[in-house]
Amino acid sequence: MIELTLQALFSGLLAGGYYATVAVGLALVFGAMRVINLAHGELVLLAAYIAYAAESRYGINPVMAIPIALVVVASASAIVYALLSRIEQDREINSLILTFGIGIIMTNGILTIWAADIHSTTNPWFQDSLVIADTLFAMNAEVAFFVGGLALMAGVYWWLNHSWQGRAVRALTSNRNAAMLMGVNPRQTEILSFMIAALLATFAGVAIYTGKTVFPSLGHVLTVKAFIITVLAGMGSIHGVLIGAIMIGVIESLTVTYLSASLQELAGMLLFLVVLFVSPSGLFGGRRALAR
Amino acid sequence: MKHAILGAALLAAYVGVPLLFGGTPYVMGLIVAALTIAGVALAWALLGNLGGMVSFGHAAFFGVGSYTSAVLSMKLGVPVFAALLLGGLGAAVASVAMLPALRLRGPYFALAILAYAHIFQILATEMTPITGGAGGLLSIPRFPTLFGLEFGGKTGGYVIILTIILLSAFVYDAVRRSAWGLALKAMHDTEIATRVIGVPSTHLKAAMLALSAFITGVVGAFNAHFISFLEPDYAFSSTWTVLPIAAAIFGGYRTVWGPVVGALAIYLLDQLVFKPILPHGHQMVLGVLLCAMILLSPGGLLPVLLRRRRSEGGRHAHA
Repeated sequence: MIELTLQALFSGLLAGGYYATVAVGLALVFGAMRVINLAHGELVLLAAYIAYAAESRYGINPVMAIPIALVVVASASAIVYALLSRIEQDREINSLILTFGIGIIMTNGILTIWAADIHSTTNPWFQDSLVIADTLFAMNAEVAFFVGGLALMAGVYWWLNHSWQGRAVRALTSNRNAAMLMGVNPRQTEILSFMIAALLATFAGVAIYTGKTVFPSLGHVLTVKAFIITVLAGMGSIHGVLIGAIMIGVIESLTVTYLSASLQELAGMLLFLVVLFVSPSGLFGGRRALAR
Repeated sequence: MKHAILGAALLAAYVGVPLLFGGTPYVMGLIVAALTIAGVALAWALLGNLGGMVSFGHAAFFGVGSYTSAVLSMKLGVPVFAALLLGGLGAAVASVAMLPALRLRGPYFALAILAYAHIFQILATEMTPITGGAGGLLSIPRFPTLFGLEFGGKTGGYVIILTIILLSAFVYDAVRRSAWGLALKAMHDTEIATRVIGVPSTHLKAAMLALSAFITGVVGAFNAHFISFLEPDYAFSSTWTVLPIAAAIFGGYRTVWGPVVGALAIYLLDQLVFKPILPHGHQMVLGVLLCAMILLSPGGLLPVLLRRRRSEGGRHAHA
């Protein structure tokens, strides 16, 4: 019983790592531009399918496919930004609908090119199991991408706190006008946040392709999950996102272990609703509220 | 003059269309399906226009309405037309569960409601004893024959969905013209100032959410009895969210008739033109259309067309 619980906690922790890489990208873009990019999950999915195409057609190792996927995803992200910046009236609502539309285009584009089949890596190393302390099991891919994801997020965290550009992103998040008076170029900073989001999305996409399975409707699920995590965390808090993501991961894996796999999504959603009800500004968001 | 046009339009819709297409079930089926989308689009636009809320979760109301009505008529023997209204009521009750989300601003509300839609879909799949689970419900009672009129067929279904849409549009228009409508309009401009002068804005928004859910639920219930089959993946499909949004944005969600016209145009284009070309990814075209409308003409097509006609007539465009 204890072993089972420990295993569930461990698997949840690993899943939380890749949820966090997806959610941090969404939160960064939201912070800089006040826009929730509903196509963010589709960007992750695009990276996963690029890795799949590279592996199945040219036999390229998924990890080696990251640079190729990064170029494609960053271009897609730049297009999303270019379209978003053209919206003038009712920015909040129209940007939601616009990115929703872009998400539909991407999901159906992927469906048209790669069909609705479920894919995962064919490289056996990623799916070999790794045993830790004789009791905890994981796939090589899960552990590798968990560690890599943490390193990447640590890098983003350092960048946000110590580089001029990173601080500019945070400045835009906390007060747009004051940041512009201090010499922050909003367009440049927004583009930068989209590029960092693309980098995180690429990494997460390849992680999903090697450690889990990918299918066209996954993008939508990822966007919703990333949004839930961002709300749990409260906006503008990177370590909050990491903790929220791990919470979701752990709750999901406990539900799968003790209840049923089909209730997995429900557990996370219910947690989300409870948090919304009790503390609408999130668990780590301070008083800067998302609610009125 | 205005009454004469209205009368002629009603006559054409109730008598002309069935006479013209009643003999070809395929065309009639297409029109009914387009009107089903139109009903949801109307309800979605009501929430967006009057309540200032964007919802990505109308599939939840559609699904709850269809399941409520189907289960009541199958297991408890409730007459189909009564079950239709109870389906709407069920969806309105489901919207009460979403009230905590009303505390959230624009994007948060939109996504919270998306999360709700997922929850309802999972519940419908898991509550196997009531809903039949993933296997779905078969042979849901069709509409009966009343006063010598047969409502079970395609033409009967057409008359029912047309009536639902006309009544919904009538209620929508009445709310918009009432004092509530004025308060809601003021809320759209500045919510804080509106609350200061004593408008119970949260109550009004909750009422709009419930009304929108009710209409969507009735349309969902209609669809269940019309096609006589339900399964969770179908009843809660994102199609019931995506198509109505595209239709409302295309036609103009700030008008009463824009979403209906938009739904007819979008659905028929989708089925007759795009689906044969792109059998699997034809929704891509809807995405393109949605993006193009938001970027080029966020107010929709209907207001643009009307404005052009009115300015030709030398009058000022309406706001």
